Amino acid sequence: MKNATQIQQSPETAIFVRDLRKSYGKLEAVKGVDLGIKQGEIYGLIGPDGAGKTSIFQILGGVMQETSGEMSIYGKTAREARSFVGYLTQAFSLYQDLTVAENLRYIGDLRLLSKREIEERGMKYLRLFDMDRFTDRLAGRLSGGMKQKLALACALIAEPRILLLDEPTTGVDPVSRREFWDTLAELSDQGMTMVVATPYLDEAERCSRVSLIFDGKIVETGTPKELRENLGLQRLELRADDLSKAEEILNQVEKIDDVQRFGDRLDLMVADAKGGEKLTREVLQKEGVAVEGFHVGQPTLENTFVAVLRDLEGKLTAPPFPRKRHFQERSPEAVAIGAENVNKIFGDFIAVKDINLAIKYGEIYGLLGANGAGKTTTIKMLCGLLPPTNGVIELAGERGSTRSQHVRQRVGYMSQKFSLYDDLTIEENLDFFAGVYGVPLADREEKKRWVMEFSGLQGQEKMLTGELPGGWKQRVAFGSAILHEPSVLFLDEPTSGVDPLARRAFWKMINELADRGVAILVTTHYLEEAEQCNRLGFMVAGEVVAEGTPTSVKAAQTGHLIEFITDKPQAASNLLKKEMERWRISLFGDRLHVVVEENVQTGINNLKKRLTEAGIKVFDAYEETRSLEDVFIAVVESKREN
Amino acid sequence: MKELFYKFLSLRWFALIRKEFNQIKRNKRLVIMLIIPPTMNIILFGFALNPTVTNLQLGVVDENQSVESRELISALTESQSFQVAKYYLSDNELNDDLTAGNLDAGLIIPNDFAKKRLRGETAEVQLIVDAVNSNTATIVGGYASRIINNLNQQILRANPPKVSLQTFAVEQIPRKLPNITPHVALLYNPGLKNSWFIVSGLIGALLVIQGSIVAAASMVKEKEVGTIEQLLMTPAEAIEIITAKIAPIFFLLTMDIFLALFVAKIAFGVPFLGLFVIFLLGGCLCVLSGIGIGTLIATLAKSQQQAQLISFFVMPPLVLLSGVTTPIEAMPKWLQPVTNVNPIRHFGIISRSIMLKGTDFSILYPNFLALATFCIIVVSISMWRFRKQLQ
Amino acid sequence: MRRIIAQARKELTQVGRDKLTLTLALFLPLVLLALMGTAISLSVTDLPIVVQDLDNSPESRRYIEAFRNSLTFRIVELPTDEQPEESLLDNHARGAIIIPEHFGRDLERGMNTEVQFLVDASDANTANIMRGASTAITLNFVKNMRSAIAVPIKADVRMWYNPGRESSTYIAPGMLAVGLSLFPPLLAALAMSREGEQKTILQVYVSSISAREYLLGKIGAYWLIAVGEWVLSMILAYFLFGLSIKGDPTPFVVCTGIYLFTTVSFGAMVGVAIPNQAAAIQAVQIAGFLFSYLLSGSIFPVSNIPFPFSIISRIIPARYYIVVARDALVRSGDWSGVWHIPLILLGIGMFFFMVAWRNTRKMQVNA
Repeated sequence: MKNATQIQQSPETAIFVRDLRKSYGKLEAVKGVDLGIKQGEIYGLIGPDGAGKTSIFQILGGVMQETSGEMSIYGKTAREARSFVGYLTQAFSLYQDLTVAENLRYIGDLRLLSKREIEERGMKYLRLFDMDRFTDRLAGRLSGGMKQKLALACALIAEPRILLLDEPTTGVDPVSRREFWDTLAELSDQGMTMVVATPYLDEAERCSRVSLIFDGKIVETGTPKELRENLGLQRLELRADDLSKAEEILNQVEKIDDVQRFGDRLDLMVADAKGGEKLTREVLQKEGVAVEGFHVGQPTLENTFVAVLRDLEGKLTAPPFPRKRHFQERSPEAVAIGAENVNKIFGDFIAVKDINLAIKYGEIYGLLGANGAGKTTTIKMLCGLLPPTNGVIELAGERGSTRSQHVRQRVGYMSQKFSLYDDLTIEENLDFFAGVYGVPLADREEKKRWVMEFSGLQGQEKMLTGELPGGWKQRVAFGSAILHEPSVLFLDEPTSGVDPLARRAFWKMINELADRGVAILVTTHYLEEAEQCNRLGFMVAGEVVAEGTPTSVKAAQTGHLIEFITDKPQAASNLLKKEMERWRISLFGDRLHVVVEENVQTGINNLKKRLTEAGIKVFDAYEETRSLEDVFIAVVESKREN
Repeated sequence: MKELFYKFLSLRWFALIRKEFNQIKRNKRLVIMLIIPPTMNIILFGFALNPTVTNLQLGVVDENQSVESRELISALTESQSFQVAKYYLSDNELNDDLTAGNLDAGLIIPNDFAKKRLRGETAEVQLIVDAVNSNTATIVGGYASRIINNLNQQILRANPPKVSLQTFAVEQIPRKLPNITPHVALLYNPGLKNSWFIVSGLIGALLVIQGSIVAAASMVKEKEVGTIEQLLMTPAEAIEIITAKIAPIFFLLTMDIFLALFVAKIAFGVPFLGLFVIFLLGGCLCVLSGIGIGTLIATLAKSQQQAQLISFFVMPPLVLLSGVTTPIEAMPKWLQPVTNVNPIRHFGIISRSIMLKGTDFSILYPNFLALATFCIIVVSISMWRFRKQLQ
Repeated sequence: MRRIIAQARKELTQVGRDKLTLTLALFLPLVLLALMGTAISLSVTDLPIVVQDLDNSPESRRYIEAFRNSLTFRIVELPTDEQPEESLLDNHARGAIIIPEHFGRDLERGMNTEVQFLVDASDANTANIMRGASTAITLNFVKNMRSAIAVPIKADVRMWYNPGRESSTYIAPGMLAVGLSLFPPLLAALAMSREGEQKTILQVYVSSISAREYLLGKIGAYWLIAVGEWVLSMILAYFLFGLSIKGDPTPFVVCTGIYLFTTVSFGAMVGVAIPNQAAAIQAVQIAGFLFSYLLSGSIFPVSNIPFPFSIISRIIPARYYIVVARDALVRSGDWSGVWHIPLILLGIGMFFFMVAWRNTRKMQVNA
């Protein structure tokens, strides 16, 4: 464990914090945090749920009193600094019943801006966020991503020198998230200092520096690159014919630090790439698993996070699920979840348009789409909560009417909102779901024990569910959704707000269930984990616009993805966005991704020339395999532009 | 036996009921709501709604200042109905204080009062009543005329009227006066305690209000938090879900019947003359009606506060037009028949009759019938609507 | 000042958006006023009574006629197989008159005769009225019989200010006060607790608006709405109950302004203390409505409130406002009787405001 180097206060220090502590009664949430944030930095705070991030933000924002510690923001106390600090809270702190313009006006008035300033700056930011058409729309009617952008505009209208952002993108789709981060990057270039907390580690890659917080203390601080290098491991991508078996085998090999399944490949963390590759090939050959491909890559921040957390928390083991029910043998062609030309129309708004689905038993189907694309509506129709306007639904062997008791007994459902009763203890919740699904009394104890182990909450049975942090609650909710061993499972954003370590346990379980013949339909905003689905459907504006395995969806994309390493990535991105379609360019931390249609080498040469002319140095440029996120953005954005 | 027990435990309905009880157990606000408001309402209504008219502030202008005038003043104050606040020298001063609202009534005795009395003529006095409060004014007027008439009887008995001797012979003077003495027997509430009236009527209103608030809160909560979707995905049938939600609420609210009777007895000594069983039956119907209204409200509301706001529209009319705090006979004529569809009215009659008069079921059955009809209609409409929303 | 205005404007915009709240704000006070002014009355008429005439003479029939002619009573048939007590027991009648045998003969002979009245006293107030009315009818009947003899004392009873003894004249001003002590604070409390519940309060905390400005902005907005409610209520009271301001309007207008500040501040205080909308509604309902309704003298005189409650009654703003309202709407009063009331109301209002301010003063998350 490396401690942060002694923090010194210097003229360019925007925020200086030493030995900050905060206690809520007996509970100490922040246990001595030191921070030194320089002007113009995007400073990331990452850590598991309940690590104390929100407390730090509330103290920096001057809305909560610290218990002890030293703190200054440009030499002022947090209370005094409020006039030049913008704060974006975790929940959308907008007035849902005011319009976009009224929200801006209210905040501007409170900050004593003149009417002209409010209008000019308001329009400036709305235009920047591509929202200037919506000034008269009620904030409550905006999509999740737009709400966050409006909240950001409200925070920016006073043109603060410091911006505090507490998980601004939770629940926001990848497209909006990326736009949001592009905006942050631009603001940072203009000299604004930012502190950001995020559960998305790909976002953290775009920070100038990152602190990893665990249990109220800072564990590690550095640039994303430093953190990755400090890990001292390398990442091997492995493709093989039988991934489940390969995973099982490789997990037993001591020299391999970590094995993670990513849909059609496995990520192996090893100290030495060459040795690791050799070892893996040997082991797999012995067991009769054919290796199809190897690729050496840089570890990601997520790899780092998981490795560090494992050291701190211990390995989270998912115990074997106690199987009691015997699944009947079905032909592999039997359809578990089916939809034929399903439509849903609310008034004059077409929420879902001509959906056709056929999900088989044992298949994991990922439904991906931006906020408001119609995913949740589709799920509700598929599981019978919402009648379709027209079209036929098929569920667990019944067509048309899917609300029979028999069907419901065989279906598991985890909704986007929390599906547990906050005012019951964990045990009472489990008892309830076991009872209402008629799980035989003799099996209940064992199953309850399994959920508690799976969630890592052994001994906490008597705890009120409402007191659990979001991520833990999701684990219990997942456990209770599968208690009765359903043969069809609907998971609507099951991993939203869950830390990376727990997400792995979720997906391990999801894969296990699928191997056992359960049909699973899942939605997620983490496209990395969507790689683990057998099939994907991309929804845009109520329609499924692309479908296939992760590999085939990627292969269906035309053109090539080129990664550029430059000295001014933001400037390069801005420049290229003006000259090409927006979706072709995206920033990943310090790397720039550009999709070109021509031959790879011509593309590199042309763009290099263009960037050098604009005074931007290109250090390196090469073709990179596309991530699902690149594909998602390309599909969604190009559909939208049409 | 053991197997049967296990079978019972794994019943779905049992799981639903147990969940409701577990939730209620943790819901401190609900427990407080079931105890504090009924107790407070009964005590406040019972003590504060007190129409008894005593110690009325009387202003006096005594221009006569004679033995006779003082006799009249003391007759008025003797019964403690009136209390002399102040003596005034002129009518104008008295009028000013009446206008300022400092007095309830004013008495003006003219200076020829004694003279007329001695002559056997009718001596007139003026009694001015502040009639802003019409009820008090009616009662004041009644008191004053009763007192003055009693005084008249005494005077007449002591000095039989002398009729002028100029025209009539002495023999013709009637020695006796025809008279009717009214004997008023106040049945069922001889102490004229208004609290008995209010409290015995209020119980029904409280049961309906409590039932509707608790039911609406419990139904809306599941909708608001979004757990209802989860519930709908389980194999439980809509009817199971609804009955499992209602059963514990119903059970708890019947406890309120006992609580209300207990408070009524302790705080006001309200008697209970009739059969408890039929009272309980009526109370249960009242609770069910309340739950029905609450469920209906829940189907209209999206959130807790909306549910409560809607109940603001529903509850005051129900209570005001029930005759439990003010008599139905005092309402406008066109409004009186409307009260027949009000369950609180019927239970008000039932509870008052059973508690204060000891009336039995054979007489009260029409009210029971009305209450039960209302109950069945409201509960079935609300169940139907709720079920429809569930599906 | 700008922040106060901004805050108030935001509140008004929000109320305007929320149709349910707007309806509640404007219509409920009117509905309540109309309903309460009409339905709450103690002037009973047409009470059913039965008569058992054991004499059946011309005198007894004339005596019964006197009851039949009164507004208070309505004579209903006494079933032949029933005793008068039974009619009371089965709620068939509210009272019974039993006229003894030889009633007519005794009167003719100039003797005293006794008549029994059975009164269902379960409703004490109505029983009192029935007792008064039956006595008055009897005395009147006797007086007519003895027309030759002068009554020693005759009281000329005059009903001032409300000669027709309309209940609504007394009740409506009271209900005006009760309505205004329920709805404005309800809205204010909801607006306060909503910011806490939906966490938008953080947005307010991070801007450097002071607690005083924040509260004044909110209170100002709901005060304006309350004034609107008051105006509407006055219009309704004029058309429905014929009430209008008599005499000097200044005491009433000044006191209304202060009273509304007091009630809205009360709502703000509750909303600050309870960051949960449903619970806040209940608190206002109990404190604002139940106390104002029962302990303010809106139906029965305050002097009837017994000891421990009479103390609470003294801190209920509605109690003082009702005095001013009745003064202005019924008696045509001026400042002389009510000069102290604005001061008392302002005192109570400032107390509520200070408590609310103390709880928001820090403008920080409590932890």
